[in-house]
Amino acid sequence: MKLKDIAHELGLIELTPEVTAGDQDEIERGYASDLLSDVLAHAPQGGVLVTLQVHLNVIAVASHAELAAVIFAGDRRPDDDIRTKAIAEGIALFVSPADTFDIVGRLYAMGMKGTHA
Amino acid sequence: MEHLAYDIQSGDFGGAGAASRDLKQHLKRIGAESDAVRRAMIAAYEAEMNVVIHTAGGRLEATVSDGQLDVDVVDRGPGIRDVPQAMREGFSTASSEARALGFGAGMGLPNIERNSDRLRVTSAVGDGTRVSFSIILRPEAAEQGARPSSLGIAAELCRDCRHCLVACPTAAVRVRAAQPSVLDHLCIDCTCCIAACDPGALTLLDAPGKLAPGADGVLAVPPALLAGFGDHAVDTVLAELRGLGFAEVASVHPYEDELRRGVLDLAATSALPTPVISPVCPAVVSLIEVKFPSLVPHLAPLASPWEALQRDFGERDVTYVVSCPSQRTALLAQQPTAQRRTVTPRLVREAVLPRLAARRRAAAGTPAPQPQAAGADDLLVVTGVSHVLAVLEQIEDGRLTDVASVEPFICDDGCFGSPLLGEDAYVAAWRWAAAAGAAPGEGRSYERARPYRPRPGIRLDPDMAVAIRKLAELDVETKALPGKDCGVCGAPTCAALAEDIVMGRAVRALCPYVTPEEESAS
Repeated sequence: MKLKDIAHELGLIELTPEVTAGDQDEIERGYASDLLSDVLAHAPQGGVLVTLQVHLNVIAVASHAELAAVIFAGDRRPDDDIRTKAIAEGIALFVSPADTFDIVGRLYAMGMKGTHA
Repeated sequence: MEHLAYDIQSGDFGGAGAASRDLKQHLKRIGAESDAVRRAMIAAYEAEMNVVIHTAGGRLEATVSDGQLDVDVVDRGPGIRDVPQAMREGFSTASSEARALGFGAGMGLPNIERNSDRLRVTSAVGDGTRVSFSIILRPEAAEQGARPSSLGIAAELCRDCRHCLVACPTAAVRVRAAQPSVLDHLCIDCTCCIAACDPGALTLLDAPGKLAPGADGVLAVPPALLAGFGDHAVDTVLAELRGLGFAEVASVHPYEDELRRGVLDLAATSALPTPVISPVCPAVVSLIEVKFPSLVPHLAPLASPWEALQRDFGERDVTYVVSCPSQRTALLAQQPTAQRRTVTPRLVREAVLPRLAARRRAAAGTPAPQPQAAGADDLLVVTGVSHVLAVLEQIEDGRLTDVASVEPFICDDGCFGSPLLGEDAYVAAWRWAAAAGAAPGEGRSYERARPYRPRPGIRLDPDMAVAIRKLAELDVETKALPGKDCGVCGAPTCAALAEDIVMGRAVRALCPYVTPEEESAS
């Protein structure tokens, strides 16, 4: 499914409409973790990451792992320089008031799978 | 060989990742396979983070050579007491600051090991640690490289006039020792050199060149062929083509109509960037893949008319009368066995002309000409290589915003203008329009099985290390040549000769302007 459909379905707050608007790729997989090395090691290419981490290194990790989007759980909001960096890297950012468990559960219900499922 | 070096500051969490990001750009530029780039980045980033988290600072050095990336990360202490223990997943000595940021989970070194093809860690407590890893870099998928062109070369006919050099839109032709040759990785299979070649040394590759219809044989033809026999009516031509022993003669024009409909539909309803470019002419598609990779997303993801016809008839015994090399190449790419089944228009003309002459009297009373259906307002039809190049450049520069879709043909006046057909383009097109409906048939449009992809025709070598070295040599050669683009050396431009020299296809001495002293000064 497309990013904008996910955002709509889950009621996510869009932080980077510049990226989301142009992104037509189908997202099929996701990963949830707050350990960035774990994200690097296991997150699926082209997937979405659900995390509590809201600092600049998340964008670096998402870029290196070639993720399409990051959803910040628990209503955590990144600083504006992080938003700017994400736009430059073409990574879409979203915020959700829900916690990680609920976000992942709803993504799974929409048909998304983990890296190896 | 390329060498890169980056300093890494201790505790600089914000700046971390700069080295690995820059390294990534370099690897992409030399055409490394994307999976290897991804693994290299993860390993380099982890190594960088280790320096930031654990040490007093350090340096990352990367060398790209001989198809391999070697990365050396050396830091200034404190060193690792027990390296095997540090290599175990989950073991960490990271600060709470690092852990708060999501690092220090004891996965750094194991992550580097997992993503590299070779890893060595050496450390002395109180002194520092050296992490060295290597990743084998294969070039990105071979299918993007050269493919055989469908241009036929009869070198004995060449008169060394070199008109073809100037005619080629991608500088793919060379004439040396009165022998024309073509660089497959640049050739887009258009008809420009064929049209420029008076003696016929350059033409459509014709193998094996027999008309051998089976009982269920289908002859697939371009409409221009049906309308290309002087004043013989289209239905007469159709009858005589069947008379050659074919059960059915299928014209490609219904597929052209369906494709046009499909493209207009996509332009109106899809999210494709506008203008949507029709893949009607495989030579223009190749031109975009080779010279305008940024326009690949504009191409409607549909099969060309010949490819669609092939899908419908491919199971049967089809003989394809293609009017240009690009159609032949497209058919072969989809079905390699089609090689035995493509023939030139000339072969068909020679077979059918005596039959038509024999029933000369039957040609009486051609129907009155009808005007050609007006093109839809949202379709821009462009024909001829210079116009196609100009329009593609306008699209690339974002200056063609009021056009919904473009139907480009590399030949002047579209397929009717192929130099391989016997009739003048205007006469054949007029006659075809006049005989509207004389060759009924159904067409279809199909999604293309394989997506259109950029073709890096400019890659200097499949071995990236060599490519890097050649890039530097190219600079030297370009500066040594006069920039007159005279063509005497057999290459169309000085830039093309410079590339030939670097690629070992030519020597500097071919240039009439280079003095003997300069020749030896390379």
